[in-house]
Amino acid sequence: MKLNAIEIRNLSKSFRGMYAVDHLNMTVPVGAIYGFIGENGSGKSTTEKLICGHLVKDSGKIKLFGKKHTDAGVRARVGALIENTGCFPNSSVWDNLMMQAINLGLPNRADEIERVLKIVRMEDSARIKFKSCSLGMKQRIGIAMALLGDPALLILDEPINGLDTDGMRIMREILVDITKNYGCTVLISSHILGELEKIATHYGIIRQGKMIQEISAKEMDSRARVFVSLKTKDMTGAKAVLKGRYGNVKEEDGYLRVYDVGNTEEIVEHLMKNKHPVREIFKNKIGLEEYYVELMSKKEA
Amino acid sequence: MTASHELKFESPSFTKRLKGMLGVDFYRLFHTPMFYIFLAIAAIIPAMVLSMTGMPGPNGEVTEPLFTNTWQIIAADTPLYVVSDIGEYANMNMVFIFGGIMVSIFIGHDYKSGYVKQLFTTHAKKQDYMMSKTLVSAFSMACMCVTYIIGGVAAGILSGTSFDVNVGSLICAIIGKMIMSLGWASLYTFLNIIFRRYFGVSIVSCFFFGTGILIIGAAAIFGNSSILNIFLYGSSVYACLSGNILTLLMCIVCSVAWTIIYNVIGTIVLYKSDVY
Repeated sequence: MKLNAIEIRNLSKSFRGMYAVDHLNMTVPVGAIYGFIGENGSGKSTTEKLICGHLVKDSGKIKLFGKKHTDAGVRARVGALIENTGCFPNSSVWDNLMMQAINLGLPNRADEIERVLKIVRMEDSARIKFKSCSLGMKQRIGIAMALLGDPALLILDEPINGLDTDGMRIMREILVDITKNYGCTVLISSHILGELEKIATHYGIIRQGKMIQEISAKEMDSRARVFVSLKTKDMTGAKAVLKGRYGNVKEEDGYLRVYDVGNTEEIVEHLMKNKHPVREIFKNKIGLEEYYVELMSKKEA
Repeated sequence: MTASHELKFESPSFTKRLKGMLGVDFYRLFHTPMFYIFLAIAAIIPAMVLSMTGMPGPNGEVTEPLFTNTWQIIAADTPLYVVSDIGEYANMNMVFIFGGIMVSIFIGHDYKSGYVKQLFTTHAKKQDYMMSKTLVSAFSMACMCVTYIIGGVAAGILSGTSFDVNVGSLICAIIGKMIMSLGWASLYTFLNIIFRRYFGVSIVSCFFFGTGILIIGAAAIFGNSSILNIFLYGSSVYACLSGNILTLLMCIVCSVAWTIIYNVIGTIVLYKSDVY
């Protein structure tokens, strides 16, 4: 039987009678980078806090690597960055990491701290006080803390929020590196779907505390709708021409999109016949963001 | 995946878990100025109290000295729960008032910084947290007791107050009060767990209980009764300069009993409540 890093069944948590997590089911395979997606207040952070034992569940089961989530052995190998890094502002980066290393009972603490600082590319900032660090640095310190002690599971809540482009790239590289080279499973929630799409191997889409879809990146890719984007001089005229032949034509971001058609030659030929020379044309697939928006609008409907 | 990253989950023993948690707390304690500030405060208090005794009043009248013996700044001559003057109250028990404030700041920062989430992520057993905080806080208060004694002795030497005492009783009183640190620490840890979302309330409640006002009030109504020794403040008062080995035993029993009670209830509260 295949072992899952996280297996949640019928998990519920309410605050003052309102369900934040409502009979949620979730399966995160070992070694996955699981993108946890949902709008604000959909229950992502609450689920993550329940997994980490910060919140007490109303009902349901949470299993981590086949064991109860309250098992001390499993939990000792969970690293988390939820809401904030959990560092003492007046202590140095080194001291904060040292405290976590002591907490985990690690041998060779100094070496271990140097190792994680190297992973997050912060070797030269160890002596800086935590409060003096930039947001990007703080996020990376949070990751470093979570990485101490060879974690089997990392739970990261919006780790790329507020990061600049370079910060996002570094974070992306770190996450790929730790899953590939350190065999870690990552559960990551983020609103920046474009970034998530570059690294995630699985997705879970949550809405109003309920999991509405779990899908692997491969599966999503195979399900994703194909479309052709193009530009012509007379977009309105071309749109009318295309609509006469193809069912689903939309104008988006300055391009005409012809959905569910893979043959660009056929489209170019048809437009040329109708005296609409094509300036730009390329084939595409809808991304995570559009997939998510589409799924949400279906659910709302 | 390398061999070192195999999915093995060895359950850490209680000792290993507690060692980890205690290690963090002691590291934090020794690496933050707060601990040293409170040690200094504990040393200054007896010096201030002793230097104020016998000082002339605003109209030049000479007041009766509060202490005729330096060791009275450590403990009262007899266990008086009903306080009739400040001299019967102002002794090493004051360490427990300031200790409460220190414990509130120490635990409050855990919650304020969010570090408590790191602790609870990796420590599924919440009793580790209660025990570790209690032990570290007790250690801090015991250290404050030591600096209080040093401050008191220094002030006694400078003011020329007598040092005559029954050494055995003095030792029993000092050790008794230091043992009471454990019970007080467990109470303060418990209060901080209860009021973890309200830092101000934690400090005020610790101060309130630390003053022993409830026991003083009870004593004012019911009189000096040895039954009050079952409470933390009662036993702390009982550790006085007329104490003996039984006094010490009473302090041990009371302190340990309350520590167990507060730790058990505190752990249950932690298991049943959310961490924010």
